[in-house]
Amino acid sequence: MMNCDDIRERLALYLDNELQEDDRAAFEAHTQSCESCASFVENELAFLNAIRGSGPVHTAPETLKTKVADIVNGPAEPARERFALKWILPIAAGLLVLLAPVVMWRVMRQSTHPANGGPSGFALMAAESHLRHMRGQLPLEMETTSPQAISAWFGNKVDFNVKLPSYQESSGQEKIYTLEGARLVGYQNDYAAYVSYRMGDRPISLVITSETVAKPSGGEEIASRGLRFHFNSIDGLKVITWSDRGLTYALVSDLDERGQQSCIVCHQGTKDQDFIEPLKPH
Amino acid sequence: METPRSNSVFALAALEHIDALYSYAMTLTRDKSEAEDLVQETYLRAVRAANQPATAGNLKAWLFVVMRNAWLNIARHKQHGLRLFQFEGAEPVDGVANDASSNPHVVYLRKLERQQIHDAIDTLPDAYREIVVLRDLEGFSYHEIATVLNCPAGTVMSRLGRARGKLREVLSQRQKVHRLYG
Ligand SMILES: [Zn+2]
Repeated sequence: MMNCDDIRERLALYLDNELQEDDRAAFEAHTQSCESCASFVENELAFLNAIRGSGPVHTAPETLKTKVADIVNGPAEPARERFALKWILPIAAGLLVLLAPVVMWRVMRQSTHPANGGPSGFALMAAESHLRHMRGQLPLEMETTSPQAISAWFGNKVDFNVKLPSYQESSGQEKIYTLEGARLVGYQNDYAAYVSYRMGDRPISLVITSETVAKPSGGEEIASRGLRFHFNSIDGLKVITWSDRGLTYALVSDLDERGQQSCIVCHQGTKDQDFIEPLKPH
Repeated sequence: METPRSNSVFALAALEHIDALYSYAMTLTRDKSEAEDLVQETYLRAVRAANQPATAGNLKAWLFVVMRNAWLNIARHKQHGLRLFQFEGAEPVDGVANDASSNPHVVYLRKLERQQIHDAIDTLPDAYREIVVLRDLEGFSYHEIATVLNCPAGTVMSRLGRARGKLREVLSQRQKVHRLYG
C-alpha cells in the first residue's frame, strides 16, 4: 500500500507512464481513496497537458522538406550516384580493374605522381587476403552471384553500408566476370568486407572498410574526377585503393601489368582500343 | 540499384519525422539556417548509416540520436557546444520545488496560449529545454531519452523534474504579470 509520500515521489513516473503495472495499480488505488493526492495528480496532469497539447514548436520549411526528400529518396537526377557507379561499379566488377587506371593513366598522366612510398597497410592486407583466398585458406562465408544478397549479408556484420554494383543491369554489356561470394576479414581490430569475383579463371578481390579505419596511401597516385587512386604492385598482384563517400576500397587481381591484355577482351574492335596502346610494353 | 538501407519504406518513415527533427534542431541550435543544415546532415547520416533500426517503432528515437551526435560533432568544431557540456557537469541542484502543490497558479496554466508555452520553453537553459521537448512535446520514454542524451535514466528523471519545475515557475510568473497588467 502506498502512502501520500510515495504518491508524490512517483507522480512524474506515473504521469510519464513509467510505472510498472503493480506500482501503477497501487498508485491508482491510493489516489482513488485520497482526495488530497487526487487533486495533486490532477493539477500536475493539467500542467503537463497544457505543455503537451501546445503542439509542435516548429514546422520544417517546405524548401527543407524538398531537400530532405531528395536525400532519402536519392536525388531525381542522381549525379553523385551515377558518378560513383560509373567508377566503382566497373572497377569493382573487375572489368575496369585494368581499364580504368589505364584510361586515367593516359588521360591524367600530367597529374600522376611518381611512386610516393610503399603500399598502405590496407593494401597489404587486401593483397594478403587475396592470396590466402587463392590458396584456399580464406574460404567464403557466403556464396552468391547476387550483389543485393551480399549487401544484405553484410548489413548486420559491419558498421558501414556495403553497396555492390550490378554491372550487367546498368551497362547492358555482356558480363565477363562473376561474383562468387563474401566473407569478413579482420583489420585494425574490426571487420572489413571481403568480396570475391572471378574473371574467367582469375580471381579478383574487393576489400571494403570505413574511411576512418583505412585511408589509401602510397604507390602511384592517380587523380581522376575527384577521386584519388593508389596503384601498387604487391607480390606480383595489382592493388588499387581509393576512398569514396566514407569508404575505402582495395581491389586486387593477378592480372597482367596494367592489364592491357584484359582490356582487349572487352574493347577489341572498339575505338577504346587505343587506350591500350600506350600501355603496351615498349 | 537498391540496398536494404535506401528503400522507399525507410524514406517514407524517416520523412514522417521531419517536423519533429526540425523542432529538435531548433532546440539545439536556436538558429533557423543552422537547424536546416543540421536536419540535412542528420538525414544524410541516417541514409548512410549501416545500423538503421529494423522496425519503424524506434526509428524516431534513432533519428534523434543521429541528430544529437551530428550536432555535438558540429558544435565541438564550432566551440559553442560548450554550453551543452558545461551544463551537463554543473546541473543546478537548488532549482525550484518539484512539487505542483507548492504552486497555486498551476490551475491557470490550462488557459495559456500555445505561444506563451513555447516562449516559456524557449527561456529554459539548454539542457532543460531539450529534455522538456523530448519528453513532453515529442513523447519519448525515459529510456529513449536516456539513449538520445546518452545518460543514465536516473539523470533523465531528475533533470526532467527540475526542468518542469523551472517551466512551471516561468509560466506562473508570466501568468501573474498577465493578470496584473493584461
Ligand atoms: Zn494521499
